[in-house]
Amino acid sequence: MAAGRALAAQSGGATRVAVLGRGVRALADALAKLGVEVLVAEDAALAEYTGDGYAQAVQGLLESTKPRLLLVAHTAQGYDLAPAIAGAQDLPLVTNAVGLRLDDDRLIVTRRLLNEKVQAEVEITSDRTIVVTLRPGSVKAGGPAEGGTVTPASIAVDATRVRIRFERIERPTVQDIDLAAADIIVSAGRGIQKKENLSLVEEFAKAVGGVVGASRPLTDMDWLPKTRQVGQSGKTVRPKLYVACGISGAMQHVAGMKDAGLIIAINTDPTAPIFEIAHVGFIADVLKLLPATLKELRA
Amino acid sequence: MALNVVVCLKQIPNPDLQFAIASDGKDIRRDALNYKINGADEYALEEAVRLKEKHGGRVVALTAGPKRTEQMLREALAKGADEAVRVPMDDAGYDVGTVARILAAAIRTIPHDLVLTGVQSDDQGNSATGGLIAGILGMPHASVVTRVEAKDGGLEVATELEGGLQRVYAVPLPALLTIQFGANTPRYAPLPAIMKAARQPIREIAPTPLSPPYTFAVRALSPPVAKGHAEMVTGPIEEQAKRLAQLLRDKGFVRR
Repeated sequence: MAAGRALAAQSGGATRVAVLGRGVRALADALAKLGVEVLVAEDAALAEYTGDGYAQAVQGLLESTKPRLLLVAHTAQGYDLAPAIAGAQDLPLVTNAVGLRLDDDRLIVTRRLLNEKVQAEVEITSDRTIVVTLRPGSVKAGGPAEGGTVTPASIAVDATRVRIRFERIERPTVQDIDLAAADIIVSAGRGIQKKENLSLVEEFAKAVGGVVGASRPLTDMDWLPKTRQVGQSGKTVRPKLYVACGISGAMQHVAGMKDAGLIIAINTDPTAPIFEIAHVGFIADVLKLLPATLKELRA
Repeated sequence: MALNVVVCLKQIPNPDLQFAIASDGKDIRRDALNYKINGADEYALEEAVRLKEKHGGRVVALTAGPKRTEQMLREALAKGADEAVRVPMDDAGYDVGTVARILAAAIRTIPHDLVLTGVQSDDQGNSATGGLIAGILGMPHASVVTRVEAKDGGLEVATELEGGLQRVYAVPLPALLTIQFGANTPRYAPLPAIMKAARQPIREIAPTPLSPPYTFAVRALSPPVAKGHAEMVTGPIEEQAKRLAQLLRDKGFVRR
């Protein structure tokens, strides 16, 4: 929303926020307190997210408001929805933006590529609505402001055209610790090389009074249960201490731990993106540094 | 319930490499790169082959790219794809809309009940190609799929949300799914299959001329602005270990 307001202010336009669903009035009111015009599209067919249902509602809003830009959060749901709308309506699309600005009639979008190692500035022009998904956390959220309103949007969703049917939610069934409640997390990544080396990480975690977490590749290989995965598709954690052992720091992982109090990273690659968010970085092989440090701690 | 599956594969520069910016600032330097199949696409391919093995049907591996992508297609054949198709063009580039429109046009010419893509590519990170193709082709779709089962003439899929929650949907066919890491365990190609695939022809479909309703250009590529303020520790392991132990003691995480 903050990005939308900044661009609207720059170009002399207006920002509207669309809230879709059923029984979402409370959310709409909360958003209106941030000073934006909130359009509420409520329909029984929107009670649970489906790409088809939400796309119909958004497409209705696009027709009635004809915005220059459609901004969507780059979340699993956002990048399910936005590309399908862009494809169906033949609209330009840029996703996973970390920055946005206008330069005359050109939209300039900043993106990160190649495991965060390259930054790209791209420009798009179009007569049609430009669809952009914005990486969460890349723009600072605005605070409360005056002038917000809540308006029902007259959108009818044709339930017969919603082809996908929501069945149920499933939660992880493994009985395990709640990583999000831990004060100290020692996380293992591919740098530990073999499943057997997890015992070293566990020993170190024990020595510092922490629990073991993991980056996605390790849980995909079943070296640890999914409940131990830290990252965008796993747990978001804010421990007092986070030790990243042999983790490169891909964006999906960093998203889950970047607010930890003290971040210590151990990696042999000095260009690993983890060092961008670490407080202290050790250029070392984790399989050598952990035993040596344990020896020091016991000395 | 036989399934004709088209799986879209992308060959990407190895994301573990160091990257330099080309002199015109509009591309990365490509002279010292090696390429591999996009990580998530491995899981998409495996899912396609598993569905075929369970329900019958055919798997077509499709890519849009230069001649070197034939190596990736042959590996897909060796892992169980029945046919490999390439739309000859330069590497995908930076505009996801172009690639999606080209792939969608190619898919229209291939009989399909199900289209699979990986959830995102590790080079561009758009997470958009599958969804765009589904919208263009007017197909229902689901993203970040961790489980696919045939059920009641259609599919039941589990899609992953942030935080590890899964939402389960019934999806009719034809449909498109973007497949998440860890949806299955990708197989290795057996040597006889690799040798057989080396001799298999790869069909080419010319790219359709496009007139997308927008202009797109790369303004500039740059190394990201390093905002990191990490205190970096290097040197012999013993010295680093002393520093790490001291840090942990100073901060009160271990007793002195």
